[in-house]
Amino acid sequence: MIIEAKNISYFYKSKRDRVILNQVSAAFEEAAFYAIVGSSGSGKTTFLSLLAGLDNPVSGSIFYGGEDIRKKGLNYHRRHNVSLVFQNYNLIDYLTTEENVKLGGKKDAEELLRRVSIPQEDWKRNVLQLSGGQQQRVAIARALASEAKVLLADEPTGNLDEDTAGEIIELIKKTAHELGKCVIVVTHSRQLAREADEVLELDHGTLRRQEE
Amino acid sequence: MNLFGRAGRSCLRKTVRSILLLLVVCIISLLFLSGMASRTANIAVKDSTRQAIGAGFLLEYNPENRSQRLAKICEKISEMYPDGQGSYGGVHQEKWNSNGYEVWSVTTDNSFESLKIEDIEKIAAVEGISDYNITTVPTAVKQANFERIEDPDVDQTNDFQGVALIGNRDMSLDANVLSGNVTIKEGRMTTKEDTDVCVISQELAEKNQLKVGDVLQFHSVKEEEPVQEAEIVGIYQVKERMQPYMSGDTYRSENVIFTDLHFPEKVEQDDPLYEKAYFKVADVDDYDAVKEAIKETEINWQWYDLIDNNGNLDTMASNFNDLEKISNTLLLVVAGAAFLILFLIFLFWIRNRTNEIGILLSIGISKSKILLQILTEAVCIGILALGLSFLIAPAVSNAAAGYLAGRQEEQARLQEEMDAGKVATDYQAPELTVTKVETALTPAMLLTDGIGVGGLLVLSTCAAGVLIFRKSPKDILSEMS
Repeated sequence: MIIEAKNISYFYKSKRDRVILNQVSAAFEEAAFYAIVGSSGSGKTTFLSLLAGLDNPVSGSIFYGGEDIRKKGLNYHRRHNVSLVFQNYNLIDYLTTEENVKLGGKKDAEELLRRVSIPQEDWKRNVLQLSGGQQQRVAIARALASEAKVLLADEPTGNLDEDTAGEIIELIKKTAHELGKCVIVVTHSRQLAREADEVLELDHGTLRRQEE
Repeated sequence: MNLFGRAGRSCLRKTVRSILLLLVVCIISLLFLSGMASRTANIAVKDSTRQAIGAGFLLEYNPENRSQRLAKICEKISEMYPDGQGSYGGVHQEKWNSNGYEVWSVTTDNSFESLKIEDIEKIAAVEGISDYNITTVPTAVKQANFERIEDPDVDQTNDFQGVALIGNRDMSLDANVLSGNVTIKEGRMTTKEDTDVCVISQELAEKNQLKVGDVLQFHSVKEEEPVQEAEIVGIYQVKERMQPYMSGDTYRSENVIFTDLHFPEKVEQDDPLYEKAYFKVADVDDYDAVKEAIKETEINWQWYDLIDNNGNLDTMASNFNDLEKISNTLLLVVAGAAFLILFLIFLFWIRNRTNEIGILLSIGISKSKILLQILTEAVCIGILALGLSFLIAPAVSNAAAGYLAGRQEEQARLQEEMDAGKVATDYQAPELTVTKVETALTPAMLLTDGIGVGGLLVLSTCAAGVLIFRKSPKDILSEMS
């Protein structure tokens, strides 16, 4: 396994009675595509944030390659171990398409942009001039630019139409199966969840495997 | 892409934001520079009062140097004469016995104490000096054909029982006349062409029933012969009694008699004793230039003090000392306001960049590096803004100093109107009119401005950054969504 959550709990300090995650444990393998589903407010995004090292759990630990991510620091974890894709693409508005990809890491940006099917004429354009689907592809290319073995995505198809969402799902699947990355996606989308190798459901702060 | 690459692209591609910050920093820098330049502004002031009564310089002996000169001459006498007794340069050194003890006595005569006439004439020849006066020390002499004014309550034991003569080359330039204290009631003042003439006080004239045209007789305090005569050409009055030179009625104000320059030495039968010389400046506007020219005159300046003659200069300086206070206040207000404005700008700036900050945090860039990127952008824009402000600062600071000086002048005028009729005084305030304001921006000012503005940028960026960066990346990303 590449990344593992062990007995993690989380609640906001201002609302201690509202437990968001309660002793959640889960392990994730490389070259697999995981979907985490659950109703709104079930703690999916929080769980993903903790896996990404954006915050510390109140109790429990996240392990990467068997090592607690706090040992090398959360910045290091985010820089080297995981990469993130968001629902609203989160690209930097004053950079070009190519520059946004380069921001993710040292891998060849042109190669990555070709891989995610961004036409060459758009590489030097301001990234906000691209369509929503293209922007999400650029976001995925940026995530792939790093050496990280785990790709975490929060509702990556949430803002896209059905056809475009299908293309993005295909890209995510390829990332897991062809590039051998561990892909963990938080989603409401049944279409996306259906394509996952494994589906986990978060309900009232607890995580359980969803049967076929 | 490193933080400098991102900072550069952000500055260049977010043009509106960059130009806004550039203008704000430029204005702050200009205000700082204007404030600093105004503090040291050279304000050319037309002093209408001084223009009317004239401006000048007073030459006197430097008392400290007199002691040094005296000691040197005494040494010289000791070298010249084997027994150490003798005279040289107006100094007399002698030895005498007192109760079996050896006592040394050093006395000086007028040739030692008097200003050198050749030095006075050198200064008088300086271009820009229109006229000059020499005034003798008040010389005690005995009256022969009139009575002096005495106070019966004053002990006269050690007094000379005489009157005091003050010789002037040109009485109209005597300090008592220039100050407005002494004015002519009848007749005229003594002039440089006069010989054996005098001007007496109205009290003395009344006591002795004297009038213009009468002749007064004097002899020295030591000898009753010869008697010298001086014709009364004028009778003066005073606003306030003149300060006596020494105690005793010889020197009391009413017993002071103004004469032509050489009459006191004639009565005293001694060398002249010139106490001070006054040099009148032809054009008040050339005052500083004339002063510099006088200082370049080849005379032994260690002997003398050159004094700005009247209080007008001090008054002018004190009036515009307020300009320095205003400038200091301006600098403090600008510093406070600048910090607040920059803090708000950066707070707004950073809040608007929450999205970018969240993205950078999500890809593992530390908060300190993100803050450093924003700081780099601010410093780059700040450097450009400082460069721009340095270019236009000379014109702006001149205008600002002119405005401040104008306000100061207006304030003084209003104050004068408010005070009108409240205080009865003989003091005639100078009528100052600002004719030109010149400011100079020194490298030290530019450096101070650069450091100050840079410090404010760093401080305000960090202060605004703290408010954002104390949040966790998760919270920042939540704000984004």
